[in-house]
Amino acid sequence: MVQRTHTLLETVDLKKTYRIGRLEVEALRGVTLTVDAGEMVAIMGPSGCGKSSLMHILGAMMRPSAGSVLIDGEDTTRMDDRARTEFRRRKIGFVFQKFNLLPTLTAAANIRVARKIDGSLGDPSVDVRLQELVTLLSIKDKMERRPVELSGGEQQRVAIARAVVKHPAILLADEPTGNLDSANSQLVLNMFRELNRTLGQTIILVTHNPELAGFADRVIQMRDGLVVGDGPSSRSWEENLVESSDEARTV
Amino acid sequence: MNTEIILSNLVRRPVRTAVSVLAVAMEVMLILVIIGLVNGIKTDNAQRTQGVGADIMLQPAGATIFLGMSQNVMPIELTDGIRGLEGVRYATPVITQFNTQDSLDLVFGIDPVTFEQVSRGVTYLAGRIFEQPDEIVVDEIYADAKGIGIGDEIQLLNHSFTVSGIVASGKGARLYMDLEAAQEMTGDIGQASLIFITAASPDAIPEVISRLEAALPGYKVTRMSDYLSLMLSSSVPALDAFLTVVVGVAVSIGLLVIFLSTYTTISERTREIGILRSMGATRSYIVRLILHEAAVLAVSGVVVGLLASLAVGRLVPHFYPSITILIQSGWIINAALFAVFSAMFGALYPSLRAASQDPVDALAYE
Repeated sequence: MVQRTHTLLETVDLKKTYRIGRLEVEALRGVTLTVDAGEMVAIMGPSGCGKSSLMHILGAMMRPSAGSVLIDGEDTTRMDDRARTEFRRRKIGFVFQKFNLLPTLTAAANIRVARKIDGSLGDPSVDVRLQELVTLLSIKDKMERRPVELSGGEQQRVAIARAVVKHPAILLADEPTGNLDSANSQLVLNMFRELNRTLGQTIILVTHNPELAGFADRVIQMRDGLVVGDGPSSRSWEENLVESSDEARTV
Repeated sequence: MNTEIILSNLVRRPVRTAVSVLAVAMEVMLILVIIGLVNGIKTDNAQRTQGVGADIMLQPAGATIFLGMSQNVMPIELTDGIRGLEGVRYATPVITQFNTQDSLDLVFGIDPVTFEQVSRGVTYLAGRIFEQPDEIVVDEIYADAKGIGIGDEIQLLNHSFTVSGIVASGKGARLYMDLEAAQEMTGDIGQASLIFITAASPDAIPEVISRLEAALPGYKVTRMSDYLSLMLSSSVPALDAFLTVVVGVAVSIGLLVIFLSTYTTISERTREIGILRSMGATRSYIVRLILHEAAVLAVSGVVVGLLASLAVGRLVPHFYPSITILIQSGWIINAALFAVFSAMFGALYPSLRAASQDPVDALAYE
């Protein structure tokens, strides 16, 4: 088990306002939170509560209207587009609801593209890490298949491998089980847990599904652009694992 | 650059790829074949004119070296005067005329005796020299192209002629008729379009040229050994304008097709661009990715276009023996550069547009 060491992420009074014509919509109205290195956090809340905006800002894909985001000591809100892109390349891994694999490429090629972009292609230590990952994610024999030849769960596991192969500071997962059946959902969530436990990967899950919360160390509840709750998960992930294993066997 | 993405995208959209490659190939073909046709005609004419065997060609003031394309003439009596010049062995007057009936062919009105002297003999493959004003001699390529033989009638310059002889090609024109008959047909009685001159020896050529220039100021005196290079480097204003238009149209075709195909494919690939951006791909990475893809299309199109042009260059003379398509290495490079430039330029705006997309919006694109 990898121990949590220090505060990896800190947001202070984060605000995000969208302008749609004359209308102003406040997606985030002052979000302050911290995430420690090695922590697995679930950000939960109903649709429209601002969790996707928060994820995009945490992932340096979007600038907030106000407030600051410190990740590994770097304030991403002060960065220009080029710096944020470079930061994203080094520090952030994304996993999306729709998997977002490049449809024309095989699983292996999808990961190679990511490695070319982050500059790790040819790095022997990353090669070793990739082998560990594909074994851990049980996709070793799927690597030469294109996304259409993979099940949803397999696609998501390839997407996870692609996201974490560069060893990002934070793995951001946006509704990662939203397009999966329950068996595959459990499988993917267990994979997240394993990544967190064995590799110490900091993971932030963004979801509206309360069942996912049990897999996280901590649950941050959001509503109307504000954090309305922040505390440990009510169920241990081991409990969820047992349940998911039973369910997987039943399926 | 990521070759895997580029190639997989091209393979995934075979119709778009094929259309783009064909458009660039057509651009290259248009340039190479049309320019090759013009250069082929120029070279063929120049080589045949050099093949007459004369050392010097005298033309009236204002005449162009493109034989048959200017109406300027000079008195035929000049021929006798030239024969009297020191260093001159033979001289023969010629009336040149372009036949545009059915095909584009140069016709020489010649004096058989003096033309034979200057050309050191014409090789007859069949028949004999013309003996009547309505008889004509054709070269083997013309006879082959038209499928005609001795005794056949042909329509030329709005007159009917009987073929009296077929000669080996390479001695000036493709058709030869009587000088006086040609003068009557063109209305240039007692005139000549040019005079071919043979010097007494190769060493005498510069002196003869100097004497001609001194005796006939303003006249055009051309040393025949320089004729081919002069012909290829000289330009005809209308022809140059035509060629510029052809190159412009060709480049526009390539540019517009690549622009359109890149623009539409970028719309289809919005989410893909969002994915790449989320992984940390910079805007310049996206621009380079799309430009590289356009470059692959362009290079493929250049290869296809070049092969097709070479095939056309070989096939056309097979079906039309009097036409030569000369594809020169210089123009191959030019056509390739035009094609690559137009493809890159066509893909530039779509690539910039793709790179400027917000990654969040791009990822949300359905």
